[in-house]
Amino acid sequence: MTQLQKTSFKASDYRSDNTPIWCPGCGDFHVLLSITKALVELGTAPENVAVVSGIGCSSRIPAYTNCYGFHGVHGRSLPLGAGLKVARPDLTVMVMSGDGDGFSIGGNHFLHACRRNVDMTYVVMDNRVYGMTKGQPSPTTEPDWDSALSPGGTGLSPFHPLVIALASGANFVAREFSGDIKGTTRTLVEAVRHPGFSFVEILSPCVTFRPDERAWKTQIHAAPVEATDDPARAARRIMTDDGFNVGVLYRGNRKPYNTHVKDTAGDPAILEEEFEI
Amino acid sequence: MTGETKLTNLQGNHACALAAISAGCDFYAGYPITPSSEVAERMSVELPRIGGTFIQMEDEIASMAAVLGAAMGGAVAMTATSGPGFSLKQENIGLGIITETPCVIVNVMRGGPSTGMPTRPGQGDIMQARWGTHGDHPVVALAPASVAEVWSETRRAFAIAEAVRTPVILLIDEVVGHLVETVAVDANPEPVTGRVWAEGDPANFQPYEAGPSLVPAMAKPGDGRRAHMTGLTHGPDGFPTQDPATASAMLTRLFDKIETHNSLIERFEAIDCEDADIVIVAYGISARAARRATSLARKAGLRVGLFRPVTLWPFPETAFRTATKSAGRILVAEMNAGQLRMEIERLTSENQHVEGVNRFDGEPITPEAILTAIDQSKEQAA
Ligand SMILES: Cc1ncc(C[n+]2csc(CCOP(=O)(O)OP(=O)(O)O)c2C)c(N)n1
Ligand code: SF4
Repeated sequence: MTQLQKTSFKASDYRSDNTPIWCPGCGDFHVLLSITKALVELGTAPENVAVVSGIGCSSRIPAYTNCYGFHGVHGRSLPLGAGLKVARPDLTVMVMSGDGDGFSIGGNHFLHACRRNVDMTYVVMDNRVYGMTKGQPSPTTEPDWDSALSPGGTGLSPFHPLVIALASGANFVAREFSGDIKGTTRTLVEAVRHPGFSFVEILSPCVTFRPDERAWKTQIHAAPVEATDDPARAARRIMTDDGFNVGVLYRGNRKPYNTHVKDTAGDPAILEEEFEI
Repeated sequence: MTGETKLTNLQGNHACALAAISAGCDFYAGYPITPSSEVAERMSVELPRIGGTFIQMEDEIASMAAVLGAAMGGAVAMTATSGPGFSLKQENIGLGIITETPCVIVNVMRGGPSTGMPTRPGQGDIMQARWGTHGDHPVVALAPASVAEVWSETRRAFAIAEAVRTPVILLIDEVVGHLVETVAVDANPEPVTGRVWAEGDPANFQPYEAGPSLVPAMAKPGDGRRAHMTGLTHGPDGFPTQDPATASAMLTRLFDKIETHNSLIERFEAIDCEDADIVIVAYGISARAARRATSLARKAGLRVGLFRPVTLWPFPETAFRTATKSAGRILVAEMNAGQLRMEIERLTSENQHVEGVNRFDGEPITPEAILTAIDQSKEQAA
């Protein structure tokens, strides 16, 4: 049976033969697993899913899937994914990023992707550090985290992606922990199904440069209240929680970006009237 | 194609937009910037009429990225910008080159550097077009000289992009972009064709395996082929590699595929060059002043010719050498401090004297300035 005829899939159908170059214990392994499990549940054929990323350890993920992969340049995966989705509304587009890729160099695209509300899912593997470039502080790093580049810490206020996503108009906002495969899978399924721009921040430990993040698994707990459709309320909750509430935090009902479905197939005859003088 | 033409008055930037649509362009992403904005304005009106997509992005980086994503998805895609925006697009242009994504990037050139003179002409971006993105890479860049040529070169830009699977840069002078001229356009323009989609058994598909054309067939997302696009150096399977032989083969093929398609890519004009003592080299709007200057010089009995590259990159080297065989003196007229002159100096022999006629004050070069340079050059030769 070819993939085209297949109507149900196993997690392994979504995995390529490439061996991840991640460090043993890296949280991103779990994210990869959750994505394949979510795709099984969604039942979308691998070739109908596009996985788009930037640059970073986390952004290596498309090569490990069996989907249509686009591994672009640092920080620019969101506009690339938007172009693809707008041109091909039939595809399921998942944009995968890291906290440096997505919130620093790609920060402006993040704001506008939330505003634009193209129907796609944005997953950021947040490890609060630049893993690939060997341990520099990122926008989500704690102000007192000591590193060679910032002895004693940056002293800077961390970026709050979930609140910023809400303020910018994202239509679905959730936080998950990579080690919670069941929860992450469930949320990813919902994020893909939810119309418009869905943002899922996955806390995904960098065991090499942030060994302290191994403790996350003991700090994680389910959000004590149900998700809301009121962005102000969701933002207040997120601003005041301990940063380890996981689950869906906000479900919006904004209309997704209008993607045209071509019917005239680029008929240039329409130009005829332009040429009369 | 019926061969029937219609006359119409068009502004250069509008001609670019309409020619793009006639060529089959159905996706535009951009960010407003003078003096290119009319391209976007026209596209925003025309594209929805044909069921295409116009999208204003948050900046030029995003515009270029969106164009790549759309093109890989199957759209015939373009963006247009000017100086500062062209700078911002460079990293993604490199991604387009290495992933072999067909697209057209229009740069309506203004006076620079930096914010420069947004409403004045300049030709200071031609080396940026060649080397603006980092690393070794081939580039295709075209420089039309009139509104009629904006029409034909825009269509050709798409034809090249689609057939050779590469970004193509269209360098339009501000003067040409804003000029309104009467042009004869094809009454029934046909969309360009040339994109080759992969066919056959998806099982052992290699996204970057190329046949004799050196252009790999593209995998259409959703058609059952597993394809991985990456800006990392990759092998035929599309996956990253640091193997020296594979790395070398990838880049060699990228260069060779451009060379293989030279007959499609190269375009130039050589006028009165056969017996010329002096050849003027000029492109874009400067070539129109040079054309006037050469015909006046001929009338005055001087043996002066004009070599006008329409394809700036790859530079038509052989044609240039042939056109300047008899010439002892070569004048390169351009609105910058001598960018193409560097290339010309590389291509000339010891017995050929190369000079520049340069201007970078936001004003176009006049025929008189070129005539004066011809006179001075003649005196020096005497
Ligand atoms: C334009 C550009 N600047 C810098 C880099 C170097 N660089 C590669 S990955 C990276 C940071 C990645 O961090 P993050 O997104 O948090 O991903 P992680 O590796 O932690 O998963 C940087 C700065 C680059 N590739 N391109
Ligand atoms: S450096 Fe950190 S983020 Fe990168 S693979 Fe290793 S553990 Fe994962």
